[in-house]
Amino acid sequence: MLANIHLPASAAEAAGLLEGGGWLLGGGTLVMPRVNTGAVPVDTLISLRAAGLDGVRVADGLAEVGAAVTLARLGEHEELAFLRPVVRSIASPPVRNLATVGGNLFATQPHGDLAVALLALGARVDVLSTGGARTIDVGEAVAHNEVVTTVHFGLPKVWRYRKAMRRKHNSASIVTVAAALVVTGGVVEQATIALGGVASTPVRANAAEQALIGRPLDLAAAEAAAAAAHEGTAPFDDAYASAWYRARVLPVHVRRALLGED
Amino acid sequence: MASKIVTLRVNDREEEFLARPGTTLLGALRDTLGLTAAKRGCAQGACGSCNVLVDGKPVPSCLVPVETVDGAAVATLEGVAPTGDLDEVQAAFLEDFATQCGFCTPGMIMTAEALLAENPDPTRAEVVEAISGNVCRCTGYEPIVNAILDAASRRRSA
Repeated sequence: MLANIHLPASAAEAAGLLEGGGWLLGGGTLVMPRVNTGAVPVDTLISLRAAGLDGVRVADGLAEVGAAVTLARLGEHEELAFLRPVVRSIASPPVRNLATVGGNLFATQPHGDLAVALLALGARVDVLSTGGARTIDVGEAVAHNEVVTTVHFGLPKVWRYRKAMRRKHNSASIVTVAAALVVTGGVVEQATIALGGVASTPVRANAAEQALIGRPLDLAAAEAAAAAAHEGTAPFDDAYASAWYRARVLPVHVRRALLGED
Repeated sequence: MASKIVTLRVNDREEEFLARPGTTLLGALRDTLGLTAAKRGCAQGACGSCNVLVDGKPVPSCLVPVETVDGAAVATLEGVAPTGDLDEVQAAFLEDFATQCGFCTPGMIMTAEALLAENPDPTRAEVVEAISGNVCRCTGYEPIVNAILDAASRRRSA
């Protein structure tokens, strides 16, 4: 049973309140379904809605996004248009009006497609506790007393994203592929590929990256990367797809993502 | 357990009331203010039957602790036709057989109102995307999509 809902006016105030226990609340799309069951083991929510974490800044090829920025606002940002397909692949427009960038980092697979994209972007995450601030890689563990405040990433040179779903909209991931590439003179110089839907957390496809680097971004290289993509994955069964199916279609979606195929 | 005073502008009327911690916007609308158009379906944000507009944007009101939107403007189905004359969306839903049991209809209409306010001439694909978070177990969706497109054209020619 809830006894308190706090609306701190800053991240520091939120971190102070968090020392006393409770759950952080971004847009509520992950926390409130549990609260609404009436059986949560928590009596305090700390909402980040008024904590001043809603800024987006893009300058010199770098983006700085506040943890409480909604997915809807992220998807509307002109200079982050490359993320629009990612945003539009997540839930429905009304849910995206609530769901936040920071919250997506805590969505469990096969949800959390923005977290997959941020892993491919090599994003860094600022967290704050009463003990101080630190910056971690996206995907690294956040302690119970830490508040995610900002996510930073560089704008990709070449961006690829693909999410296989049961339906065109508002469905969890069967396989999600996000890739940030640097292609110089027709040759892949750098590749960061992240996968969703195929492990308990978003995972980097290191073997697929290695298969791609130093080669032209063509069918042969994409197929080599696709063939290597299963390394490090641990697909699971759920209501959306079986582990077998996920493993079976993973290379297909990696290839299609890399080549920008429909 | 500290209840708090919450102020909302609901359908252009100032409302002030006490909310216990954990009261959702949906709960406040239905149980405190007696506005029962928004429905409690899944209570997980997955069905859209509780969708209302907060500061013009459609949101599942079951996911919003009401204290966190203190001061916001909220629009519910009750505010769409306060005089009893149906607006274009409601008229199109009625005439195009877009409602059967009616449970999803308030959420569908508010989501459609938000879409048409932002995009008066949506494509069929845009309508489908807009209502992709609204579950209807009766109609099969096609009549709803048709009604929203019909409402858009009625509103444009009005």
